Amino acid sequence: MTEHTGGTAADTTTETLELRASRTLPATPEEVFDAYTDAEQQKIWFSILDEEPGIVEIEADLRVGGRQVAVWGPDRDTLFREEQVFLEIDRPHRLVTESTGSDPSGQTMTTHIVVTFEPVDGGTLMSVVQSGFPTPEIRDFFASQAWVGAFDRIEAYLVRR
Amino acid sequence: MVQHEVLDRAFAALADATRRDILVRLGDGPATISELAESAGMTLTGIRKHVDVLVDAGLATTEKVGRTRQCRLGAERLDDAMAWISFYQRLWERRLDGLEAYFTLRNGTRNDTHNDTDKGAT
Repeated sequence: MTEHTGGTAADTTTETLELRASRTLPATPEEVFDAYTDAEQQKIWFSILDEEPGIVEIEADLRVGGRQVAVWGPDRDTLFREEQVFLEIDRPHRLVTESTGSDPSGQTMTTHIVVTFEPVDGGTLMSVVQSGFPTPEIRDFFASQAWVGAFDRIEAYLVRR
Repeated sequence: MVQHEVLDRAFAALADATRRDILVRLGDGPATISELAESAGMTLTGIRKHVDVLVDAGLATTEKVGRTRQCRLGAERLDDAMAWISFYQRLWERRLDGLEAYFTLRNGTRNDTHNDTDKGAT
């Protein structure tokens, strides 16, 4: 992943735990917004880099209160799912959703996502900020050095066993 | 959903500073209830209640060893919490990589063939 296009990172330096990602895409904000939200276009780009054909099902109802459901995975027994509810739609600038992810074991987690689309040289800067651990205390814990240290120790401990 | 409730319990258990301290302590290795009580400056009964909450949430396990009760980290549940970060990291990488490939391919096709009919006139 190149420097100028950005990447994804769990930002543990701020007070709350946020997942941030950004990328400059060679298209206008309108084109990026539409490709990102239109179900038919999503079906194309969501699996465009898959080397092996897998399952990708996407439905989208782009209106405030509407839902977008994406289901994907290598086979029917290993499916990931994300359901987003649209909270704010400001084409082609900003999209706010509540996202509930489900992994193949059936666990779920609900988070808050803000996606922005800014015109820049070379196209559109698409930026994602995702947050939503349940309580401030949890976010602080995840964000703290104590947590980072604890996780290092957990890994070390697991290796020792 | 049962799995969801388990994760909720884990987050609820983590929302207490004493319990987080216990987990950090257990991150260094197993400890007895007495050792945990000593390092937290609490009574055995008090620390036992916190340990019970952690065990209930799957964040710790206990095992009777002779006359003591040994506590260990139940790292699986912590991994579950962290797993959501990587779930979404992978999802966003997939989305941003896919969109980039999609537009790059489209622009390449457009330049190669001057075929703009799908998007109307430029």
